[in-house]
Amino acid sequence: MTVLTGADLEIRTGEIVGIVGANGSGKSTLMNILVGVLEQDSGTVERTGTVGWCPQEPLLYDRLTVGETFRLFGSGYGMTAEEIDEAKHRLASKLDFEQYLDYRIDQLSGGNRQKINLSIALMHDPDVLMLDEPYTGFDWETYLTFWDLAEELAADGTAVTMISHLIEEQSRLDRIYEVRDGQVYDVTDQEGETDATASERGEETDE
Amino acid sequence: MNRVWTGIRANVSTFLRTPLNVVLALLLPIVVIEGWGQAMAGLPSMPTVEAIPIELGRLLGAIFGVAIIAGLMGLAQMISARAADRRLVQTGYPPRTLLATRLAALGGVTVVVAAVNYGVLWLTISPEAPVLTFVFLVLAGLVYAFLGALVGALLPRLFEGSLVVVFLAMMDAFLSGDSPLAADIPEFVEYFPLYHPKELLQEAMFQGTYTTGDLGFVAGYLLVLLVLVTVVFGVTMRTSGGWSA
Repeated sequence: MTVLTGADLEIRTGEIVGIVGANGSGKSTLMNILVGVLEQDSGTVERTGTVGWCPQEPLLYDRLTVGETFRLFGSGYGMTAEEIDEAKHRLASKLDFEQYLDYRIDQLSGGNRQKINLSIALMHDPDVLMLDEPYTGFDWETYLTFWDLAEELAADGTAVTMISHLIEEQSRLDRIYEVRDGQVYDVTDQEGETDATASERGEETDE
Repeated sequence: MNRVWTGIRANVSTFLRTPLNVVLALLLPIVVIEGWGQAMAGLPSMPTVEAIPIELGRLLGAIFGVAIIAGLMGLAQMISARAADRRLVQTGYPPRTLLATRLAALGGVTVVVAAVNYGVLWLTISPEAPVLTFVFLVLAGLVYAFLGALVGALLPRLFEGSLVVVFLAMMDAFLSGDSPLAADIPEFVEYFPLYHPKELLQEAMFQGTYTTGDLGFVAGYLLVLLVLVTVVFGVTMRTSGGWSA
C-alpha cells in the first residue's frame, strides 16, 4: 500500500515545525522515514547532525528500570557514564520523574512512561528532535513544561519537528506541514485551521 | 559507556525479572527428566514394545529439558524486545553488538539451565565423564537457544513461534532418542538439531568418551545457526541511513 506519493520538506535549525494530518494520512510514516527507521521507496533524505526520536508509542524495554533504560540508550548514543547520569537527573528534575528512577518501565503509569520515552529522545542534546505526539498522557503541568522545553531547545538552535493534533498548538509552531492524500503541503500561512485539524474534530471540509 | 556490558546486563536483568522464565528453568528439569525416564521404562506394559533403560530415558529428558527452555528463551528474547531494539539501533547501537549481547546472555542462561538439568540427572545417574556430560548438555541447549533466536527473528509472534519451537523440540527429542515407539526412523533424523548432541551426551554419560565427528557436526550446526540468525537479525534491524554528526 502506498501511503506517501510526494513529500518535500525542509527542517531548519532553531525552528519548531509541526506535521499535521488526518488519522492514517501518513504522518508517522513520514517521520519514520525522516528518522531513518523506515526506508523510502524513492527520493532522498539528507540528514545532518544528531537526531533524537520520540516515537508515538513508548518503545522501551519493559523489564528495565528507568535508570537502566538511560544507561542502555545512552550507551547507544555513545555517551559516557557521567554524561548519562547528568542527563538522567536533569530530565528527571525537569519532567518530574525523579522518584521513579528505580522503577521498572512496566510499573510506570502511561504518562510517566511517555516522559521516559521523550527523555530518551532528549538525553544526548540532539541537533534535530523528531517527536511523534510526544505529550500523549501528560498532565496539564507537564504539557506546559514540555512546551517550555521545546521552545528553550529551539532557542538554543535545535530543530524541533513534531506531529501535532491540537489546533491551539499551531500558534507555537514556526512552520506547519500538512500530510494529505499522500502529499505534504506547507500550510504555515494558511488562515484558520487546516483540513486536517478540522477533520480531527469531525467536520467536513472542501478539498 | 561500554555497550557490550551494558547490553549483557540489560538482557540478563530482563530474563531474571520474568518470573515464568525462572520458574520454568528451575522446575521443568525435575518434571521432564523423571517423567521421560519413567515413561520410557514403563513401555513394556505395551505389547511388542521393548523398553529402553530408565537411565537413557532420563538422559533424553535432560536433553529435551535443556533444549526446550533454551529454545523458548531464545525465542522470547528476540520477540519481546523487537520494537525497542529498532529504537536502540536508531540511537547508534550496532545491531551486531546488540545481537552479541543477547546471545551472550542467552549462553549464560543456557549454562545455568544445563547445570540445573545436570544436577537433577546426577541425583539418579553417575556419569562416566561428568565434565563432558555437562559440556554436551550445554551444547544441546546452545543449539536450541540459537534455533529459538532464529525462529524469533523470522517469526516475530510469541504464540506461533512457541508452537514451532515446542513441536520441533518434541519431535527432535523423540526421533533422535531412538524411541521404541518410532517404527522406522528415517535417515535424515541425523540432521535434526538434537541428534548429534544426544549421541555425544549418551557416549560421555555411559562410556566416558566422545566421537569427534559428532562434536564437529554440532560445532558446524552452531556456526550455521549463528550466521543465519546474524543475517536475519541484521535485515530486521536495518535502517535507511544514519545521521552524520
